[in-house]
Amino acid sequence: MTKPAEIWREHKKLHSYLGKQGKLLVWTKILVAPVGFEHQTPYFVGIVILDGERMPVQIVDADEKQLKPNQKVEVVIRKIGKAKSEDVIEYGIKVKPI
Amino acid sequence: MRIQILGTGITKFGELWSKSLLDLATDAALEAINDSRLSINQIDAVFVANMIYGKIANQDHLGALITSALGLKCASFRVEAACASGGLAVHLACQSLMAGTYKNVLVVGVEKMTDVGISEITSALMGAGSDMERKAGLTFPGLYALMAKAHMAKYGTTKKHLAAVSVKNHYHASMNEKAQFPFEITEEKALNSPEICSPFTLFDASPITDGAAAVILSSDLTSGSTNNVYITGSAVASDTVDLAARDSLLELRATKEASVKALKQAGVEIKDIDIAEVHDCFTIAEILAMEDLGFCKKGEGGDFIKKGITRLGGKMPVNTSGGLKACGHPVAATGLKQIIEIADQIRGRAGKRQAEGINCGLAHNVGGSGATVVVHIIQS
Repeated sequence: MTKPAEIWREHKKLHSYLGKQGKLLVWTKILVAPVGFEHQTPYFVGIVILDGERMPVQIVDADEKQLKPNQKVEVVIRKIGKAKSEDVIEYGIKVKPI
Repeated sequence: MRIQILGTGITKFGELWSKSLLDLATDAALEAINDSRLSINQIDAVFVANMIYGKIANQDHLGALITSALGLKCASFRVEAACASGGLAVHLACQSLMAGTYKNVLVVGVEKMTDVGISEITSALMGAGSDMERKAGLTFPGLYALMAKAHMAKYGTTKKHLAAVSVKNHYHASMNEKAQFPFEITEEKALNSPEICSPFTLFDASPITDGAAAVILSSDLTSGSTNNVYITGSAVASDTVDLAARDSLLELRATKEASVKALKQAGVEIKDIDIAEVHDCFTIAEILAMEDLGFCKKGEGGDFIKKGITRLGGKMPVNTSGGLKACGHPVAATGLKQIIEIADQIRGRAGKRQAEGINCGLAHNVGGSGATVVVHIIQS
Protein backbone atom coordinates (compact mmCIF):
# COMPACT_ATOMS: atom_id res chain seq x y z
CA MET A 1 0.00 0.00 0.00
CA THR A 2 3.04 2.31 0.18
CA LYS A 3 2.74 5.12 -2.39
CA PRO A 4 5.37 5.58 -5.16
CA ALA A 5 5.95 9.22 -4.14
CA GLU A 6 6.56 8.18 -0.53
CA ILE A 7 9.02 5.47 -1.56
CA TRP A 8 10.86 7.93 -3.86
CA ARG A 9 11.09 10.45 -0.98
CA GLU A 10 12.28 7.90 1.60
CA HIS A 11 14.80 6.16 -0.67
CA LYS A 12 16.94 9.30 -0.82
CA LYS A 13 17.96 8.77 2.83
CA LEU A 14 18.72 5.06 2.60
CA HIS A 15 22.30 5.19 1.27
CA SER A 16 23.49 7.16 4.31
CA TYR A 17 22.80 4.11 6.49
CA LEU A 18 24.48 1.53 4.25
CA GLY A 19 27.27 -0.46 5.87
CA LYS A 20 26.93 1.36 9.19
CA GLN A 21 27.70 -0.68 12.26
CA GLY A 22 26.04 -0.45 15.64
CA LYS A 23 24.94 -2.53 18.59
CA LEU A 24 21.78 -4.27 19.66
CA LEU A 25 19.99 -2.91 22.73
CA VAL A 26 16.91 -5.15 23.03
CA TRP A 27 14.92 -7.45 20.72
CA THR A 28 11.81 -9.59 20.41
CA LYS A 29 10.56 -12.43 18.21
CA ILE A 30 7.28 -11.58 16.43
CA LEU A 31 4.87 -14.47 15.83
CA VAL A 32 1.68 -12.49 15.00
CA ALA A 33 2.48 -10.05 12.20
CA PRO A 34 0.81 -7.07 10.53
CA VAL A 35 -0.40 -7.18 6.90
CA GLY A 36 2.55 -7.68 4.52
CA PHE A 37 4.76 -9.38 7.13
CA GLU A 38 2.74 -12.55 7.75
CA HIS A 39 4.95 -14.68 5.46
CA GLN A 40 8.07 -13.83 7.48
CA THR A 41 6.94 -15.08 10.89
CA PRO A 42 8.63 -15.78 13.17
CA TYR A 43 10.98 -12.82 12.71
CA PHE A 44 13.17 -10.69 14.99
CA VAL A 45 12.82 -6.96 15.61
CA GLY A 46 15.02 -4.91 17.89
CA ILE A 47 16.13 -1.47 18.93
CA VAL A 48 19.70 -0.83 17.78
CA ILE A 49 22.09 2.05 18.45
CA LEU A 50 23.64 3.49 15.27
CA ASP A 51 25.91 6.56 15.66
CA GLY A 52 24.35 7.21 19.06
CA GLU A 53 20.83 7.16 17.60
CA ARG A 54 18.36 4.51 18.72
CA MET A 55 16.10 3.05 16.08
CA PRO A 56 13.63 0.18 15.67
CA VAL A 57 14.72 -2.23 12.94
CA GLN A 58 14.19 -5.78 11.75
CA ILE A 59 17.05 -8.23 12.38
CA VAL A 60 17.83 -10.64 9.53
CA ASP A 61 20.28 -13.48 8.86
CA ALA A 62 20.31 -14.15 12.59
CA ASP A 63 20.23 -17.20 14.81
CA GLU A 64 18.30 -16.61 18.04
CA LYS A 65 21.44 -17.61 20.01
CA GLN A 66 23.33 -14.66 18.47
CA LEU A 67 20.88 -12.15 19.88
CA LYS A 68 22.21 -10.71 23.10
CA PRO A 69 22.70 -7.18 24.48
CA ASN A 70 25.52 -5.25 22.78
CA GLN A 71 25.67 -7.73 19.88
CA LYS A 72 27.40 -5.94 16.96
CA VAL A 73 25.19 -5.45 13.92
CA GLU A 74 25.59 -4.06 10.41
CA VAL A 75 22.99 -2.26 8.27
CA VAL A 76 21.85 -4.06 5.11
CA ILE A 77 19.28 -3.17 2.44
CA ARG A 78 16.33 -5.52 2.22
CA LYS A 79 12.82 -5.68 0.83
CA ILE A 80 10.26 -4.34 3.35
CA GLY A 81 7.18 -6.52 3.73
CA LYS A 82 5.49 -8.19 0.79
CA ALA A 83 4.22 -6.01 -2.05
CA LYS A 84 1.00 -6.99 -3.85
CA SER A 85 1.40 -7.65 -7.59
CA GLU A 86 0.36 -4.08 -8.54
CA ASP A 87 2.34 -2.36 -5.74
CA VAL A 88 5.79 -0.80 -5.86
CA ILE A 89 8.32 -3.07 -4.16
CA GLU A 90 9.70 -1.20 -1.17
CA TYR A 91 13.29 -1.50 0.07
CA GLY A 92 14.59 -0.29 3.39
CA ILE A 93 17.18 -0.93 6.06
CA LYS A 94 17.49 -3.94 8.33
CA VAL A 95 20.45 -5.17 10.37
CA LYS A 96 22.35 -8.44 10.58
CA PRO A 97 24.63 -9.63 13.37
CA ILE A 98 28.37 -9.55 12.61
CA MET B 1 -11.66 21.42 39.45
CA ARG B 2 -14.99 19.76 40.18
CA ILE B 3 -17.01 18.16 37.38
CA GLN B 4 -19.92 15.93 38.33
CA ILE B 5 -20.32 12.47 36.80
CA LEU B 6 -24.11 12.50 36.50
CA GLY B 7 -24.60 9.17 34.76
CA THR B 8 -22.76 6.19 33.29
CA GLY B 9 -23.54 3.49 30.72
CA ILE B 10 -21.56 0.54 29.42
CA THR B 11 -22.23 -2.32 27.01
CA LYS B 12 -21.08 -5.89 27.28
CA PHE B 13 -17.44 -6.14 26.09
CA GLY B 14 -16.57 -8.97 23.69
CA GLU B 15 -17.06 -10.34 20.19
CA LEU B 16 -20.45 -8.75 19.57
CA TRP B 17 -21.19 -9.76 15.99
CA SER B 18 -24.89 -8.89 16.25
CA LYS B 19 -24.13 -5.27 17.21
CA SER B 20 -22.97 -2.47 14.89
CA LEU B 21 -20.80 0.49 15.94
CA LEU B 22 -23.94 2.66 16.11
CA ASP B 23 -25.84 0.05 18.17
CA LEU B 24 -23.01 -0.05 20.70
CA ALA B 25 -22.58 3.74 20.91
CA THR B 26 -26.31 4.45 21.28
CA ASP B 27 -26.85 1.62 23.82
CA ALA B 28 -24.11 3.02 26.09
CA ALA B 29 -25.17 6.65 25.54
CA LEU B 30 -28.87 6.06 26.30
CA GLU B 31 -28.01 4.05 29.43
CA ALA B 32 -25.82 6.96 30.62
CA ILE B 33 -28.54 9.54 29.88
CA ASN B 34 -31.16 7.44 31.75
CA ASP B 35 -28.78 7.05 34.68
CA SER B 36 -28.20 10.83 34.80
CA ARG B 37 -31.96 11.56 35.02
CA LEU B 38 -31.46 14.40 32.55
CA SER B 39 -33.77 14.55 29.56
CA ILE B 40 -31.89 13.97 26.32
CA ASN B 41 -32.50 17.58 25.20
CA GLN B 42 -30.47 18.85 28.15
CA ILE B 43 -27.27 17.50 26.50
CA ASP B 44 -25.34 20.49 25.12
CA ALA B 45 -22.51 18.64 23.36
CA VAL B 46 -21.35 15.13 22.45
CA PHE B 47 -17.72 13.97 22.47
CA VAL B 48 -17.10 10.70 20.60
CA ALA B 49 -13.86 8.80 21.17
CA ASN B 50 -12.84 6.33 18.47
CA MET B 51 -9.53 5.18 17.02
CA ILE B 52 -9.83 2.74 14.12
CA TYR B 53 -13.33 2.63 12.66
CA GLY B 54 -12.41 5.02 9.82
CA LYS B 55 -9.54 2.77 8.85
CA ILE B 56 -11.31 -0.61 8.92
CA ALA B 57 -14.86 0.39 7.92
CA ASN B 58 -14.25 3.58 5.89
CA GLN B 59 -16.67 5.52 8.09
CA ASP B 60 -15.43 8.78 9.58
CA HIS B 61 -17.36 11.82 10.83
CA LEU B 62 -18.41 9.89 13.93
CA GLY B 63 -19.24 12.97 16.03
CA ALA B 64 -22.22 13.94 13.89
CA LEU B 65 -23.05 10.32 13.04
CA ILE B 66 -23.59 9.28 16.66
CA THR B 67 -25.09 12.61 17.77
CA SER B 68 -27.73 12.49 15.02
CA ALA B 69 -28.44 8.80 15.72
CA LEU B 70 -29.45 9.92 19.23
CA GLY B 71 -31.82 12.49 17.68
CA LEU B 72 -29.63 15.40 18.82
CA LYS B 73 -28.55 18.47 16.85
CA CYS B 74 -26.04 19.88 19.38
CA ALA B 75 -22.27 20.38 18.97
CA SER B 76 -20.37 17.14 18.32
CA PHE B 77 -16.70 16.18 18.27
CA ARG B 78 -14.63 13.11 17.46
CA VAL B 79 -11.46 12.66 19.53
CA GLU B 80 -8.52 10.37 18.69
CA ALA B 81 -5.33 9.58 20.59
CA ALA B 82 -4.95 5.84 19.95
CA CYS B 83 -5.81 3.80 23.09
CA ALA B 84 -6.01 7.04 25.12
CA SER B 85 -8.87 8.40 22.98
CA GLY B 86 -11.45 7.80 25.72
CA GLY B 87 -9.49 9.51 28.49
CA LEU B 88 -8.62 12.39 26.18
CA ALA B 89 -12.29 12.90 25.22
CA VAL B 90 -13.19 13.12 28.94
CA HIS B 91 -10.36 15.63 29.44
CA LEU B 92 -11.61 17.82 26.58
CA ALA B 93 -15.20 17.55 27.80
CA CYS B 94 -14.06 18.72 31.26
CA GLN B 95 -12.25 21.69 29.69
CA SER B 96 -15.41 22.71 27.78
CA LEU B 97 -17.46 22.50 31.00
CA MET B 98 -14.92 24.50 33.01
CA ALA B 99 -14.81 27.13 30.26
CA GLY B 100 -18.57 27.46 30.63
CA THR B 101 -19.22 26.72 26.95
CA TYR B 102 -21.52 23.79 27.85
CA LYS B 103 -23.31 22.69 31.01
CA ASN B 104 -24.10 18.99 30.39
CA VAL B 105 -22.13 16.84 27.93
CA LEU B 106 -22.18 13.23 26.79
CA VAL B 107 -18.84 11.48 26.28
CA VAL B 108 -19.01 8.13 24.50
CA GLY B 109 -16.12 5.86 23.58
CA VAL B 110 -16.82 3.12 21.07
CA GLU B 111 -14.89 0.57 19.04
CA LYS B 112 -16.01 -2.15 16.62
CA MET B 113 -12.92 -4.30 16.08
CA THR B 114 -13.90 -7.93 15.54
CA ASP B 115 -15.39 -7.61 12.05
CA VAL B 116 -11.91 -7.90 10.46
CA GLY B 117 -9.07 -10.45 10.63
CA ILE B 118 -6.09 -10.44 12.99
CA SER B 119 -3.47 -9.12 10.51
CA GLU B 120 -5.77 -6.29 9.44
CA ILE B 121 -6.51 -5.21 13.02
CA THR B 122 -2.81 -5.55 13.98
CA SER B 123 -1.94 -3.22 11.07
CA ALA B 124 -4.74 -0.78 11.93
CA LEU B 125 -3.55 -0.55 15.54
CA MET B 126 0.01 0.15 14.33
CA GLY B 127 -1.40 3.50 13.16
CA ALA B 128 -0.60 4.49 16.75
CA GLY B 129 3.10 3.77 16.18
CA SER B 130 5.78 5.49 14.10
CA ASP B 131 6.67 4.99 10.43
CA MET B 132 10.02 3.40 11.38
CA GLU B 133 8.23 0.98 13.69
CA ARG B 134 5.81 -0.05 10.92
CA LYS B 135 8.64 -0.56 8.43
CA ALA B 136 10.44 -2.74 11.00
CA GLY B 137 7.40 -5.03 11.10
CA LEU B 138 6.73 -4.11 14.72
CA THR B 139 3.37 -4.68 16.39
CA PHE B 140 1.99 -3.35 19.67
CA PRO B 141 2.71 -6.64 21.44
CA GLY B 142 6.22 -6.27 19.98
CA LEU B 143 6.74 -2.74 21.31
CA TYR B 144 5.64 -3.69 24.83
CA ALA B 145 7.70 -6.90 24.59
CA LEU B 146 10.78 -4.70 24.02
CA MET B 147 9.91 -2.75 27.19
CA ALA B 148 9.35 -6.02 29.08
CA LYS B 149 12.73 -7.39 27.98
CA ALA B 150 14.48 -4.17 29.03
CA HIS B 151 12.71 -4.30 32.44
CA MET B 152 13.59 -7.99 32.90
CA ALA B 153 17.25 -7.36 32.08
CA LYS B 154 17.58 -4.37 34.40
CA TYR B 155 15.41 -5.34 37.40
CA GLY B 156 15.12 -9.12 37.24
CA THR B 157 11.38 -9.04 36.50
CA THR B 158 10.25 -12.54 35.53
CA LYS B 159 7.54 -14.19 33.46
CA LYS B 160 5.87 -15.13 36.78
CA HIS B 161 5.62 -11.43 37.65
CA LEU B 162 3.93 -10.84 34.29
CA ALA B 163 1.57 -13.78 34.83
CA ALA B 164 0.57 -12.39 38.27
CA VAL B 165 -0.99 -9.36 36.53
CA SER B 166 -3.01 -11.59 34.24
CA VAL B 167 -4.15 -13.97 37.02
CA LYS B 168 -5.27 -11.05 39.23
CA ASN B 169 -7.15 -9.25 36.46
CA HIS B 170 -8.92 -12.45 35.37
CA TYR B 171 -9.96 -12.98 39.02
CA HIS B 172 -11.50 -9.49 39.05
CA ALA B 173 -13.20 -10.04 35.67
CA SER B 174 -14.78 -13.26 36.98
CA MET B 175 -17.00 -10.96 39.06
CA ASN B 176 -17.82 -8.58 36.18
CA GLU B 177 -20.68 -9.70 33.92
CA LYS B 178 -19.73 -7.03 31.33
CA ALA B 179 -16.21 -8.49 30.94
CA GLN B 180 -15.08 -10.26 27.77
CA PHE B 181 -13.38 -13.02 29.79
CA PRO B 182 -15.37 -13.39 33.05
CA PHE B 183 -13.39 -16.37 34.34
CA GLU B 184 -10.32 -17.11 36.43
CA ILE B 185 -7.05 -18.52 35.10
CA THR B 186 -4.10 -20.16 36.85
CA GLU B 187 -0.47 -19.05 36.73
CA GLU B 188 0.31 -22.31 34.96
CA LYS B 189 -2.24 -21.61 32.23
CA ALA B 190 -0.84 -18.09 31.67
CA LEU B 191 2.75 -19.31 31.48
CA ASN B 192 2.00 -22.25 29.18
CA SER B 193 -0.26 -20.48 26.66
CA PRO B 194 1.10 -19.97 23.11
CA GLU B 195 3.85 -17.39 22.62
CA ILE B 196 2.80 -14.30 20.61
CA CYS B 197 6.12 -12.45 20.75
CA SER B 198 8.90 -13.13 23.21
CA PRO B 199 8.60 -12.89 26.23
CA PHE B 200 4.79 -12.61 25.92
CA THR B 201 2.32 -15.46 25.75
CA LEU B 202 -1.32 -15.00 24.76
CA PHE B 203 -2.25 -14.25 28.39
CA ASP B 204 0.11 -11.26 28.54
CA ALA B 205 -1.98 -9.40 25.95
CA SER B 206 -5.31 -7.62 26.08
CA PRO B 207 -7.78 -8.94 23.47
CA ILE B 208 -9.49 -7.48 20.40
CA THR B 209 -12.89 -6.27 21.63
CA ASP B 210 -16.16 -4.64 20.58
CA GLY B 211 -17.81 -2.36 23.12
CA ALA B 212 -18.85 1.12 24.18
CA ALA B 213 -18.89 3.14 27.38
CA ALA B 214 -20.42 6.55 28.08
CA VAL B 215 -20.63 9.16 30.80
CA ILE B 216 -22.72 12.29 31.31
CA LEU B 217 -20.61 15.07 32.79
CA SER B 218 -21.99 18.27 34.25
CA SER B 219 -20.69 21.57 35.60
CA ASP B 220 -23.99 21.95 37.50
CA LEU B 221 -23.11 20.73 40.99
CA THR B 222 -26.69 21.18 42.30
CA SER B 223 -28.22 18.46 40.10
CA GLY B 224 -27.87 14.72 40.62
CA SER B 225 -28.59 12.47 43.58
CA THR B 226 -27.14 12.33 47.08
CA ASN B 227 -24.62 9.72 45.94
CA ASN B 228 -22.53 12.13 43.90
CA VAL B 229 -19.13 11.51 42.36
CA TYR B 230 -16.80 14.07 40.84
CA ILE B 231 -13.78 14.36 38.56
CA THR B 232 -11.38 16.51 40.56
CA GLY B 233 -8.23 16.13 38.47
CA SER B 234 -7.68 15.68 34.72
CA ALA B 235 -4.28 15.90 33.05
CA VAL B 236 -2.60 14.88 29.79
CA ALA B 237 1.09 14.49 28.88
CA SER B 238 2.82 13.54 25.62
CA ASP B 239 6.04 11.78 24.63
CA THR B 240 7.62 10.64 21.36
CA VAL B 241 5.45 8.30 19.28
CA ASP B 242 8.59 6.33 18.41
CA LEU B 243 9.51 4.16 21.43
CA ALA B 244 13.21 4.00 20.47
CA ALA B 245 13.51 7.80 20.52
CA ARG B 246 12.90 7.97 24.29
CA ASP B 247 15.64 8.34 26.88
CA SER B 248 14.49 5.24 28.74
CA LEU B 249 12.62 2.05 27.87
CA LEU B 250 12.11 1.37 31.57
CA GLU B 251 9.40 3.92 32.27
CA LEU B 252 6.57 5.90 30.66
CA ARG B 253 7.63 9.47 31.36
CA ALA B 254 4.21 10.78 30.31
CA THR B 255 2.57 8.68 33.06
CA LYS B 256 4.70 10.45 35.68
CA GLU B 257 3.95 13.91 34.30
CA ALA B 258 0.21 13.44 33.85
CA SER B 259 -0.25 11.88 37.30
CA VAL B 260 1.71 14.59 39.12
CA LYS B 261 -0.43 17.25 37.42
CA ALA B 262 -3.74 15.47 38.03
CA LEU B 263 -2.99 14.79 41.71
CA LYS B 264 -1.96 18.41 42.25
CA GLN B 265 -5.14 19.62 40.59
CA ALA B 266 -7.24 17.39 42.88
CA GLY B 267 -5.24 18.43 45.94
CA VAL B 268 -4.48 14.82 46.91
CA GLU B 269 -1.35 12.67 47.12
CA ILE B 270 -0.69 9.22 45.69
CA LYS B 271 -1.07 7.70 49.20
CA ASP B 272 -4.66 9.03 49.29
CA ILE B 273 -5.66 6.85 46.32
CA ASP B 274 -7.92 3.97 47.44
CA ILE B 275 -8.36 2.29 44.05
CA ALA B 276 -6.95 2.56 40.53
CA GLU B 277 -7.77 1.47 37.01
CA VAL B 278 -4.51 1.39 35.04
CA HIS B 279 -3.73 0.73 31.39
CA ASP B 280 -2.71 -2.98 31.30
CA CYS B 281 -2.76 -3.38 27.50
CA PHE B 282 0.08 -5.86 28.18
CA THR B 283 1.05 -7.25 31.57
CA ILE B 284 4.32 -5.27 31.68
CA ALA B 285 2.27 -2.07 31.29
CA GLU B 286 0.59 -2.61 34.69
CA ILE B 287 3.99 -3.20 36.30
CA LEU B 288 5.32 0.04 34.73
CA ALA B 289 2.15 1.89 35.79
CA MET B 290 2.57 0.86 39.47
CA GLU B 291 6.12 2.24 39.41
CA ASP B 292 5.57 5.36 37.30
CA LEU B 293 2.43 6.42 39.19
CA GLY B 294 4.46 6.12 42.40
CA PHE B 295 2.60 3.26 44.13
CA CYS B 296 5.96 1.44 44.52
CA LYS B 297 9.66 2.01 43.78
CA LYS B 298 11.12 1.70 40.27
CA GLY B 299 11.91 -1.91 39.51
CA GLU B 300 9.66 -3.32 42.27
CA GLY B 301 6.37 -3.32 40.34
CA GLY B 302 6.39 -7.08 39.74
CA ASP B 303 6.84 -7.97 43.43
CA PHE B 304 4.33 -5.28 44.46
CA ILE B 305 1.62 -6.96 42.35
CA LYS B 306 2.65 -10.52 43.22
CA LYS B 307 2.26 -9.75 46.97
CA GLY B 308 -1.49 -9.24 46.44
CA ILE B 309 -1.63 -5.58 47.53
CA THR B 310 -3.54 -4.72 44.34
CA ARG B 311 -5.88 -7.73 44.40
CA LEU B 312 -9.47 -7.13 45.57
CA GLY B 313 -9.30 -7.39 49.37
CA GLY B 314 -5.77 -5.97 49.34
CA LYS B 315 -4.79 -2.49 50.48
CA MET B 316 -5.20 -0.80 47.10
CA PRO B 317 -7.14 -2.79 44.48
CA VAL B 318 -6.07 -2.19 40.87
CA ASN B 319 -8.18 -2.99 37.81
CA THR B 320 -11.23 -4.35 39.63
CA SER B 321 -13.06 -4.23 36.26
CA GLY B 322 -10.70 -6.96 35.06
CA GLY B 323 -8.49 -4.39 33.33
CA LEU B 324 -7.85 -4.32 29.62
CA LYS B 325 -6.55 -7.86 29.91
CA ALA B 326 -9.73 -9.60 31.04
CA CYS B 327 -12.55 -7.04 30.82
CA GLY B 328 -11.46 -6.44 27.23
CA HIS B 329 -10.01 -3.51 25.30
CA PRO B 330 -12.38 -1.79 22.86
CA VAL B 331 -9.64 0.77 22.35
CA ALA B 332 -11.44 4.14 22.62
CA ALA B 333 -14.02 2.85 25.12
CA THR B 334 -11.33 1.79 27.61
CA GLY B 335 -10.62 5.25 29.07
CA LEU B 336 -14.33 5.69 29.79
CA LYS B 337 -14.74 2.20 31.23
CA GLN B 338 -11.93 2.96 33.71
CA ILE B 339 -13.69 6.11 34.94
CA ILE B 340 -17.04 4.28 35.17
CA GLU B 341 -15.47 1.47 37.22
CA ILE B 342 -14.07 3.95 39.73
CA ALA B 343 -17.34 5.91 39.87
CA ASP B 344 -19.21 2.62 40.52
CA GLN B 345 -16.76 1.65 43.28
CA ILE B 346 -17.16 5.05 44.97
CA ARG B 347 -20.96 4.88 44.67
CA GLY B 348 -21.09 1.29 45.96
CA ARG B 349 -22.52 0.00 42.68
CA ALA B 350 -19.75 -2.50 41.82
CA GLY B 351 -21.71 -5.61 42.83
CA LYS B 352 -19.67 -8.74 43.62
CA ARG B 353 -16.38 -6.92 43.11
CA GLN B 354 -17.24 -4.01 45.42
CA ALA B 355 -14.21 -2.85 47.44
CA GLU B 356 -14.61 -1.29 50.87
CA GLY B 357 -14.05 2.31 51.94
CA ILE B 358 -13.47 3.80 48.48
CA ASN B 359 -13.47 7.61 48.36
CA CYS B 360 -10.71 8.50 45.92
CA GLY B 361 -9.67 6.73 42.71
CA LEU B 362 -7.23 7.18 39.84
CA ALA B 363 -7.76 6.28 36.16
CA HIS B 364 -4.66 5.90 33.94
CA ASN B 365 -5.18 5.70 30.18
CA VAL B 366 -2.24 5.26 27.76
CA GLY B 367 -2.09 5.84 23.99
CA GLY B 368 0.37 3.92 21.82
CA SER B 369 3.53 2.81 23.59
CA GLY B 370 3.21 5.78 25.97
CA ALA B 371 3.09 8.82 23.66
CA THR B 372 -0.17 10.06 25.20
CA VAL B 373 -1.12 9.51 28.83
CA VAL B 374 -4.29 10.80 30.48
CA VAL B 375 -4.81 10.59 34.25
CA HIS B 376 -8.08 11.37 36.03
CA ILE B 377 -8.75 11.64 39.76
CA ILE B 378 -12.30 10.78 40.83
CA GLN B 379 -13.67 11.49 44.32
CA SER B 380 -16.86 11.23 46.35
